[in-house]
Amino acid sequence: MSGLATGLCLVLGIPLAWLLARSRSWLTEVLAAGALLPLVLPPTVVGYYLLTALGRNSGFGRFLEDDLGIRLVFTWQAAGIAAAVMAVPLLVMTARAGFESVDPELERVGLTLGRSRLAVFFTITLPLASPGVLAGVALAFARAMGEFGVTLMVAGSIPGRTRTMPLVVYDAVQSGDMALANTLALILTSMAMLAVFGWTTRRIRW
Amino acid sequence: MLWTEIKKRLDGFELDVAFQADEGRVVLFGPSGAGKSLTLQAITGVMRPDAGRVEVNGRLLFDSASGVNLPPQVRRVGYVPQSYALFPHLTVEQNVAYGVQRLDAARRRALVQEMVELVGLQGLERRRPRELSGGQQQRVALARALASRPELLVLDEPFSNIDTGLRGTLRRELLDLQARSGITTLVVTHDLDDAFFLGSRIVVIDRGRVLQAGSREDIFYRPATRRVAEFVGTRNILRATVLESNSQRLLLDWQGRLLEAEPISENRAEPLPLSRGQDVEVCIRPTQVMIVRPDRLPHLPPPENPFCGTVVQEALQAEAYVLRFRLGDSPACPAGRAAPCDLEIELPDYVYLRLGLDRQKDATISIHRSTMHVIPVG
Repeated sequence: MSGLATGLCLVLGIPLAWLLARSRSWLTEVLAAGALLPLVLPPTVVGYYLLTALGRNSGFGRFLEDDLGIRLVFTWQAAGIAAAVMAVPLLVMTARAGFESVDPELERVGLTLGRSRLAVFFTITLPLASPGVLAGVALAFARAMGEFGVTLMVAGSIPGRTRTMPLVVYDAVQSGDMALANTLALILTSMAMLAVFGWTTRRIRW
Repeated sequence: MLWTEIKKRLDGFELDVAFQADEGRVVLFGPSGAGKSLTLQAITGVMRPDAGRVEVNGRLLFDSASGVNLPPQVRRVGYVPQSYALFPHLTVEQNVAYGVQRLDAARRRALVQEMVELVGLQGLERRRPRELSGGQQQRVALARALASRPELLVLDEPFSNIDTGLRGTLRRELLDLQARSGITTLVVTHDLDDAFFLGSRIVVIDRGRVLQAGSREDIFYRPATRRVAEFVGTRNILRATVLESNSQRLLLDWQGRLLEAEPISENRAEPLPLSRGQDVEVCIRPTQVMIVRPDRLPHLPPPENPFCGTVVQEALQAEAYVLRFRLGDSPACPAGRAAPCDLEIELPDYVYLRLGLDRQKDATISIHRSTMHVIPVG
C-alpha cells in the first residue's frame, strides 16, 4: 500500500516539483498551493473529497465502475491513493528544493551540446537533485505509511485488506491490547526516524 | 560568418542589436547590464527574441520573418558560460564526452582524448570539476564545447573568475586555440584588456544598443562618440571649437589655446564635415602625449602643439608613470583645493627618469597632430 502510494507520489510529484522549481508563472504558484492543501486541511475533509471523487456519485467514479469495472472505494488501492494525496506535499516541497539547487545554466549547456531535454533531465537535473528527491521520497513513504484519517474515510478498516498499521494501533489501544500497540508504534517510529534522518542529511556535496 | 539581429523587450529593458562578423574573433564589449549576455542567450537559443534573425555560416538559426527558431540542441553553437557550468557529478572525461554520446565507444574515447590534449589537460581525465583550478575548469568547458564540433563558439566573460596573473596566459591560449580550430568565436566581456587582446572585431554595446562596431583599431583609436571613447579608456577628451577647417588645415580653439589637428588621415580621405564655430571633442590617449626633452637639439623641426605646464600629481603603476599635467596658462586654482589637471599622460618608468621628471616637475609637452582624434559634437 505504501509502495503504491510512493509510486503514485513519484509519478505525480517529481514532474510537479520540477515545474515548480523552474517556472515563475502565477499558474504554477496556484498549483503549488493546491499541492500543499492536503497538508493543512483536516484529514477528514480530504477523505471526504476523495470519497466523493472516487465514489459512485461522481462522474469519475461512475466511469470507473460502469465502464472499466473498477471499484476503488474501500479497497487497499483506495488506501494507497489516499496516502499518496497526503504524502505528495512532502515530496513536492523537498524535491522542489532539490531541483532549485541545480543551476539552470547546467541544463542550458547540456542542450547546446546537442542532447535532448529528456536526456538532460535524466543525466544532469535528476542526478544533481537526487539528494533532495530521495529525501522527499523517504518522507513521502513514511507519511504514506503513517496515514490514518483519510485511509479510514475512503478505505475503511477491513481486516487483512485495508487495515493499515496506524489503524491497527488505534484498534489495539481501543481494545486494550497494549503489547501489539507497543510493537507497532516502535516499528512505525523507527521507520519514520530513518526517513527524517534521510531528510536532514540530504545536503550531500559533490 | 555570423549575422545577428536581435530585438527583445523585457521589463524596463529593451535589447535592439545588430552586428555581423566575417570570421575569426568578435568581442561584444560593454558595461554590465548592457545586454551582452541576453544577446548570447538569443544566439545559443535558450532565449527567444521578439524579432530578428541569427545566421551562422549561412545556416539560419532564427528568423522571426519566416518563423524559423531552431532549438539549442541542433544549433551547433558551443557555449562556455561565465560560471563554466561543468557538470559537478561527472569527471573531466565524462564532461567532455557529454555532447558526443552518439559516437561509438572507440571513436568517442579518441575524440575525448584529442580534446583533452588540445586544451592540455592530460592526466586530469578522471578528476571531478571541484578538484580543478579555475583555469583548468575553463579549459574543460572549452574542450566540452569544442568536442561537438560547433560552427560558432561563444564565451561569456571567460576570465572574470581568473586571477589577474593567470589571465594573460589564458588569453594567449584562447587566441592560439581559436587560431588552430578556426572556429568563429564570439567573446562577451566588460574588460578592456580582454576586448583589446581577443577581438579582431569589436562591437561596443550599452543599454541594449550597438554604439559602434568596427575593427579593434577603429574602436580604440577612432571612437565614433564620446561614450565609446570613455568606454575604451580614452582618458583625455577635450572640448574644443573649430576655428578653421579645410583640406589643408584643421585649427581648433581649446579653451583659448590653439590646437592643430590633421584634416585628413590615412583612414579618412575626405576632411571631416566641420564648419567654423562648431564644437568638437578631441580624444588623446595618455600614452601618446609626448614630453619634449629639455636638451632637444635646436635644428630639429619645432614640436607640434607645444604647451608648457607642470606635473601636479603622479602615480607609479606596474612599469609606467601616470602623470596629471596642468598647463601653465590655466587659471590659478583657489588655495586649499587639489589642482585640477588638464591632461593625463602615461609614460614608461625609464622615460620618466631619462627626462628627469623625478627632479623637475615643469615640462613642455607636445601633442602630435596624428594622435588627435576629432569627434564632431551633436
